[in-house]
Amino acid sequence: MRIVTSLALMRHFIFVFFVSCCTVASGQSDVSETPVADSDTSIAPPTNGVAILRTAQNIRGSLINEVPVKLIERQPYISVQQYLKGNVAGLYVQEPTGEPGTEQNMFIRGISSPLLSKRELFDQQPVVFVNGIPLTQDNPFAYEIQKYDFNRIGPATNLLAAYNQDNIESIEVIKDPVALASLGSMAANGAIWITTKNARSGFREISINSYYGYAAKPSVYVTNAAYENNFRQPFYNRFGSINDRLNYPPYLRDSTNADYYGASNWTDLYYQYSPTYNVDASLSGGSERANFRFFGGLTENANTADATSFTRYNGNFFINVAPVKWMMISSMLGYTRQQRERNRNIRDRLAEQRYIPDLTNPLTPNNVLYGSYLKNFDKDFATGAIDDNVNNMIQGYLAINATPFEGLAYNGRIGFDYNEGIRDVFWPRALLEGNNFVSNYFGYNQRLAVTNSLSYNWTVGQEGGLMLRGGQNFISDIYKYDYAYANNTPNDFIKINVVNGDPNAQEYLIPRGFLVSYFPGKMQSRLISFFGNATYTHQELLKLSAVVSREGSSNMQADNRWFTNYSGGIEYDFKNLVGESGTISSLIANASYGHIGKLLSDDRFNAGPAYRVDLGFTGEPTLGSYSGIGGLSRPYSSGWVGYGIPWAYSDQVNIGLHAGLLENRVRLGLDVYKKADKDMLLPMPIAAEWGYASSYKSGMEVDNTGLDFSFAAQILPEMQQNLSWLFTGNINYNKNSLAALPDGLSEVVMGTTKLETGKPVDAFWILKNNGVYSSDADVPVNPSTGRPMTYKGVTLKAGDPRWVDVNGDYTINDNDKVLEGNYMPKVSGGFGSNLAYNSFSLDFQFYFALKRMALNQYASSRLDFINTEVNNTINSVKEITFWEEKQNLSAYPIYNPWSPVVPYRLEQDLFLDNASYLKLRSVSLGYDLSRGGTKTAFKKCMLYLTGTNLLTFTGFKGDDPELINYNGIYNGYGLVNPRSLIIGIRMDF
Amino acid sequence: MKRFFYKWKVALIAFTAMVFTSACNKQLDVPSTRQASEEGHWTKYEDARAGLLGMYGLFRAALADNNAYWVLGELRNGDFEAVSRPDLKAVIEGNLNASFPLLNDVTNWRRFYAVINASNLFIERVEGCLADPRYTSSYYKLDVAQARAIRAFAYYMLVRTWGDVPLVTSTGEGNFENLARTNKEAVLGFAKNELMDVAGRLPYQYSTVDPDLVYPPNYYGRAAADWKNTLLGRLSAYAILAHIAALQGDYINVAVYSQFVLDNAARARLTTVTTGQLTGGLFLFSTDNVSWNQMIGFNFIYERGESSISGHIEQLTLANTTAFPMSKQLPDIYVNKDSIAVLFPRANGNDQRFGFNPLNGLATEAYFENFSSAIPVFKKIRVVDGGGGDGTFARYNSSIIFTRLEEMILLNAEALAVVGRGEEAIQKLNAIRSNRGIPGLNYTPQLDLITEIFAERRRELLGEGWRWYDLVRYNKLKRSNPAFNELIDEGGIYWPIAQDVLNRNANIRQNNYWNQ
Repeated sequence: MRIVTSLALMRHFIFVFFVSCCTVASGQSDVSETPVADSDTSIAPPTNGVAILRTAQNIRGSLINEVPVKLIERQPYISVQQYLKGNVAGLYVQEPTGEPGTEQNMFIRGISSPLLSKRELFDQQPVVFVNGIPLTQDNPFAYEIQKYDFNRIGPATNLLAAYNQDNIESIEVIKDPVALASLGSMAANGAIWITTKNARSGFREISINSYYGYAAKPSVYVTNAAYENNFRQPFYNRFGSINDRLNYPPYLRDSTNADYYGASNWTDLYYQYSPTYNVDASLSGGSERANFRFFGGLTENANTADATSFTRYNGNFFINVAPVKWMMISSMLGYTRQQRERNRNIRDRLAEQRYIPDLTNPLTPNNVLYGSYLKNFDKDFATGAIDDNVNNMIQGYLAINATPFEGLAYNGRIGFDYNEGIRDVFWPRALLEGNNFVSNYFGYNQRLAVTNSLSYNWTVGQEGGLMLRGGQNFISDIYKYDYAYANNTPNDFIKINVVNGDPNAQEYLIPRGFLVSYFPGKMQSRLISFFGNATYTHQELLKLSAVVSREGSSNMQADNRWFTNYSGGIEYDFKNLVGESGTISSLIANASYGHIGKLLSDDRFNAGPAYRVDLGFTGEPTLGSYSGIGGLSRPYSSGWVGYGIPWAYSDQVNIGLHAGLLENRVRLGLDVYKKADKDMLLPMPIAAEWGYASSYKSGMEVDNTGLDFSFAAQILPEMQQNLSWLFTGNINYNKNSLAALPDGLSEVVMGTTKLETGKPVDAFWILKNNGVYSSDADVPVNPSTGRPMTYKGVTLKAGDPRWVDVNGDYTINDNDKVLEGNYMPKVSGGFGSNLAYNSFSLDFQFYFALKRMALNQYASSRLDFINTEVNNTINSVKEITFWEEKQNLSAYPIYNPWSPVVPYRLEQDLFLDNASYLKLRSVSLGYDLSRGGTKTAFKKCMLYLTGTNLLTFTGFKGDDPELINYNGIYNGYGLVNPRSLIIGIRMDF
Repeated sequence: MKRFFYKWKVALIAFTAMVFTSACNKQLDVPSTRQASEEGHWTKYEDARAGLLGMYGLFRAALADNNAYWVLGELRNGDFEAVSRPDLKAVIEGNLNASFPLLNDVTNWRRFYAVINASNLFIERVEGCLADPRYTSSYYKLDVAQARAIRAFAYYMLVRTWGDVPLVTSTGEGNFENLARTNKEAVLGFAKNELMDVAGRLPYQYSTVDPDLVYPPNYYGRAAADWKNTLLGRLSAYAILAHIAALQGDYINVAVYSQFVLDNAARARLTTVTTGQLTGGLFLFSTDNVSWNQMIGFNFIYERGESSISGHIEQLTLANTTAFPMSKQLPDIYVNKDSIAVLFPRANGNDQRFGFNPLNGLATEAYFENFSSAIPVFKKIRVVDGGGGDGTFARYNSSIIFTRLEEMILLNAEALAVVGRGEEAIQKLNAIRSNRGIPGLNYTPQLDLITEIFAERRRELLGEGWRWYDLVRYNKLKRSNPAFNELIDEGGIYWPIAQDVLNRNANIRQNNYWNQ
């Protein structure tokens, strides 16, 4: 019912919006016919209705980092994460797969909680504002009905891939506590502030931008069964029994089997040159009193692997109208459609199908057989698979900026962000042991954001100025999905269930033919805040700012609903001291502090102890009934939630120094920060005798300390010569540490994770290797009992690993595991250069992540082939890339893979790899036709050639150090990050 | 006058501020749609029903999780062998401290305690539902009796697996102390007393018209034929009592309780089943009357979307056979031919479950298919995709059956034999034997009756999760196997406790046998 009303409201709103747009547009055309010679500059500028409190406004590139949009405009990237990667100190981006349009992760100044699951990953993401509208993202609550969490159900497309860089005016990464506090609790993890190009007055302006290029095929080392056989033989020779040999996998058994032992040429079908292109155009114009901008674009991005691609259609429309001089009404309406061709990985498909077939025989490396398998995915084939992934996204706002009196300003806005995801899947019988599968997903995220503020500027004394602002914010969110799946439709041509639509009939809407499992899910939340900001400036040298806001969240319990954010900052410009001509040409110092609440992204905490459907078990999470009647219980699997959960909050301190040297040709920015995130919830293990998997307790504190350093050096200035050279760079050092655990504990073990106060939260908990026992006699014997060393009670034997007995009790167990390494890089950043000579320009950009480790599950499961294969679980799946050597495994010691101690278990330092890297992200060569000698009809005309992902320097053992999961596990599933080359043109006229 | 206005102004401001904030708070009152909040729960008929079925569902989850029911009960020292899975091999060989994920999971008793916690909560709170006129006191009494029986049953399951376990009869609710283990006799004593207390309050059948008006008719809107014996009834309580007594070695009471079940079986529409029914429809809970014989069983009803891949012995035992093609070529576990020969000796003639047709020498394929290959497939229980599946879609619906009438008869025979009433015992045994087409035994004082009864249990209950617990009882009676005696004496008959359980509660100690 609520959905219906909200949708109706939404529709109504959009309708009203359209009408107002149309009236404005028609009014505008009148204006342009009779251009008013309005040279009055006091007309208010276009507004999006919100203002953040900026510190150090005059030094960009450091505290509030600005991303070099000029560079990004020439790169074939599609997502906000990609635009930001390597460009901003303190922002680290993960791209765990090169598959275009998939979800990517961002972290500003480290993580404030261990990334135990996708829920924590979601909770660590910074908020992204586009023209002041905080964007909604897919809420991870859908994972609750999933058997595996590799991908979220639905299209699982990156919602931040919706913004075309040609439509972006600026991207800023906000890290300053005062600015964050002025954005409210949503911004506790940092914020990304994107401003799109807006309507502008003046003669009509048209720009057209386009590029076209290819993602290149990688060179890979392919293998066949002979390779795998050679790899396994040493294990069988040394440790295999006759029985083990009898159980030798069938696909390796027969060396005359050409399917497996023959030519390995599957890469011809798997890797392809794939076109990647973009074309977009914009039109803007109008008078100062009424102007507009239209933007439309089409983007196609493709990966060379597995025929994956991403298509995007953009349309944006802006109108600004000033009905009276002192009031500006601005509006925006944006529509984006995203489509995605997903990978054909078996694992991802089986995860969706919730069914593990017999995995004994993998796909063959032979392209004839592989080709006939791929035919099942061909849409033109009569019974081919369907996998449609579509996102429709609409955003818009209507904002008013009014300055009725000198010094007084009113800002108001109603904005919305609505995005829906649709996925239709059909996989024919041939893909799953003669069982077909059909599923359908429809979900949407909807946000309504209303904000009003009033500000007043005073002059204090001779040289002081005081700005006071107060206002209110209201945000209402709905997250909804409907998911249904079924197996075994009558045949591969019938993909829907026929039901009787007559409400009076007995079988009304009862599915016949096949059984459908249906899962609806909905979550709703609201956030209200009242805020007050103050800024005092003195002589334009000293600036003091303060923010106080009171926020209420519906996801908090009734007695803890409200929280007060506050922050304050001081900034001093030493321009009187340094003078204009010295070595130091400018110097600004600032310090700020903020106390910002952290929101919960799940509504299940707001009621305290509750009852849920929890009748499932391992592998069957969705079972909700017994004997056909729904059963409820306490949330035993998802954990106890008690009363009295306070707001978690983040205390942030930032001290910055910004200097310009040599007439500001060299600009340096240094920020030192400490972020202490406190009172956070953690699912704590409790005595199993109460039935709960965990109990949520608050009190976790994680500290992140570090520094951001950015610089820009104009080695050859632009003005004087034909030659100019700018060198820029940024680096972040960040260290996290667990400061406190709930209940004052000093350590806690959760499955394979251990948290210990004083240690990093992203450390791996592993055993230490020290070689192999070559004979039973080598195993040390406990002198007090006369028993040889054991692994959790199992005596170690020849061929078992020589794990270090850290506590010296002659038993290797969890007490001998140590915390080592970290999956978040301690050092990250990027550097680049822009060189220009006459009409030519040459740019390059590097980025890096150092002091970062990964746990190599790929090597672990390849070496542990005995357990991997016989268990027939989702982790036993062999993709076609099984026949690609991603890593040379010969360097690992040979253990007994049949041993009951599981010698190739993942949690040991044998598989802890250095995953630091330095990558050449792009090189771009440009030629500006409109500059210098060539006179053209264009205001601007630039031709360019850009190559991306060109070089990698790394010591990582696997194929690509970037293709590592969010939690530091490398499993070799990520699709390659392709090398691509594009040629493009940018024209303004 | 001015002052008066001033006062009004203040009041007005205060009033608007109040309205404003209360309106805000109202806006922020957005209940979660994904859960039922504490407030207002336990006030309705539906709450009681959901809580009741929740307990049964949690019990099913505890047994089905990682196929724990069979991993714990069927495999260790049993008749099944693992084809290649090292974790199952470790269980079969009794290396229960091997560090495979499966062993870590099945040795974790948390899910049983979830059942106990849910029962404790139900007993404590369901009284509130009496506020709903539809929830009459006869519902209330019956529901609480069931909850207590479920809790007692869970304790029986815990003790037979781990020995001493903590006895928890409160709900905790945020105050989660670290309890220590309670002596197993005390736990069993508690379970026994509870069952004795509630057995009389449970009906033989649910939803029947009760002339004494003690039990609600049309219980939760379902007919007797819908419930069948899904819920714990009076005979279920006595069956559990009989097993508790057997675990305690109190065979006099085993005889008494099991006899009560046998005497009243007809009142719960329990019968013995033919071999055809046994390998046909018995394990599928359906509208068929044979489903009444799932005396204590946890069902997965196909039509209600309760099919699952794990939680059924089929996941371990089924594989491709000529009669039933499946894509899985080899099962995870199988009974090898030598064991089959021991189980079904030629001396027994043509056992309907497995034997050889004297006319053509072909094997009877009621229990096994592919007997001629090296790895026969155990197919006694094969309920694929609602029972009508052809094996291509390996999703199952077989119920987890704890006991059925045959099991009770054999337990009764065992008790009679132990207490020296051999002649009565042999009658019971022969009744089962004749049902399966094998000749009866003649009573002689020399006959090792107990061994014969256990041999029959081994045949009849193969794949039903009994083998390990039968071996324990048998060896406790016989004490003829020194290795097993050591297990009994040193506590090795109990399973180790998962490291995770030990990590969570410092007051829990590992079973001594596994602590070395």
